[in-house]
Amino acid sequence: MSRKIYFMVLTLLVLTFYPNPAYAMHIMEGFLPLPWAIFWAVITLPFLIYGLKSIKDTVEENPGFKMLLAFAGAFAFVLSALKIPSVTGSSSHPTGVGLGAILFGPTVMTVIGVIILLFQALLLAHGGITTLGANTFSMAVVGPLVSYGIYKGAQKAGLPRGLAVFFGAALGDLATYVTTSIQLAAAYPDPTGGIAASLTKFVGVFALTQVPLAVSEGLLTVVAVNFLVSHNKSDLLALSVIKREG
Amino acid sequence: MFKIDHFAYTNRLKAVHPAEKFGFAMITLSLCVGLNSLPVSVATLTIMSFAVVVLAGTPWRFYVKLLTLPLGFLLMGIVAVVFSVSSVAAGYLWGFHLAGVYVGVTEDSLYFAVQLFFKVLGAVSCLYFLALTTPLTDILQVLRKLRVPPLFLELMMLIYRFIFVLLETAGRIHLSQSSRWGYATITASYRSLAGLIANLFARAYWRSQVSFHALLSRGYTGRLEVLESDYRLSWKNITVITAVDMLLAVFGLYGRGII
Repeated sequence: MSRKIYFMVLTLLVLTFYPNPAYAMHIMEGFLPLPWAIFWAVITLPFLIYGLKSIKDTVEENPGFKMLLAFAGAFAFVLSALKIPSVTGSSSHPTGVGLGAILFGPTVMTVIGVIILLFQALLLAHGGITTLGANTFSMAVVGPLVSYGIYKGAQKAGLPRGLAVFFGAALGDLATYVTTSIQLAAAYPDPTGGIAASLTKFVGVFALTQVPLAVSEGLLTVVAVNFLVSHNKSDLLALSVIKREG
Repeated sequence: MFKIDHFAYTNRLKAVHPAEKFGFAMITLSLCVGLNSLPVSVATLTIMSFAVVVLAGTPWRFYVKLLTLPLGFLLMGIVAVVFSVSSVAAGYLWGFHLAGVYVGVTEDSLYFAVQLFFKVLGAVSCLYFLALTTPLTDILQVLRKLRVPPLFLELMMLIYRFIFVLLETAGRIHLSQSSRWGYATITASYRSLAGLIANLFARAYWRSQVSFHALLSRGYTGRLEVLESDYRLSWKNITVITAVDMLLAVFGLYGRGII
């Protein structure tokens, strides 16, 4: 009985306070203790430097790449401001992590990702400055790496493109969400149960919104990629050059 | 398009040197998060809200609305922090039995949650102070002084500009889709949204090539030079900022018994 009530209260809380579930996966400003904020920033830095270096090399060979990257960044930002219609009637925001990683490759996405996260904090009040490192790690390092890895792996394994894109995007989203939960659990371990208990709590609390979101984003990415393939094949071919180098 | 951006350009603190505002926001933010003391957090929230609403003249309704925006995440996060799980039901102020374990609230976890709540709100108010008083172009100017790599800054500047271009395109596509019942049903919505995304991408790609050609024809050699706005440092402001932050630091360290 109490279990039922617990879930009812939890669901009520979620429905009341969760108008934008996708945004909610940005760890908000000030939520992480300072040592953890610094830790995640330091961990993210090498990925960022590597990404910048790889962009620099590509730009030297092909100066137009900078403009393309800038539009890719703006595109990903606008994408995160759109709303996915959801089956439950509420709406959520795509993260664009999967699509970005599939189109541009994971290294480039780290650099674009950190800029987008900074803009989301400063223009939309989502995420924050002290949590920028942690958010970049989950959304612009782990997410794109998983999306890209799964997409490429599935293609190699001979899966149809639709499935490869779906799993790439959906699992990239889930990886982001699990990483965020780990970051939160490590920063706030349960006083009696430790990190493991606290991880269960965070995963449980956010699963309600994040699992359906991952599925809708996966579906949306498949339809978007299908559109692109049928209408903009030449652009995609041009992009694959960038992917090889970036 | 974005209200925060709008207020950043039109607020009463727009003429203040961006380095002062940036420094004030960053130092206060680090103090609030680093000291993690309830009085400092409440003081930060008060000072920053005063600066945003009274000094900068941001409408208070808008500011309060912004403050409530991340409450969803905060409350969910606090729910996860405040409840602790244990195999024995000892020391709980309030709790219940769930799937073989006891879940409940202890006095410590409750205090911890209150402390966290105000620390986060204090930190958020610092972020809002920066976002609502300093336009992004000015923040870029400060970052340039801080020796952030030029390539990174140039990408930031370009992305900032292109966001508005693409948002307008996306808005128009959305409008024409809606006017043709594109979002009437769930299935249609998915199809329309995916079409919007794919078209937006194609437009972005096209725009990037056109912009590059336009730049090339104007003698682009790989660097975009822009004029920086001229600001004057005010010693009065710097003194006030230093005093406020010193006070916060002393306050926080004293509360912890360090001095």
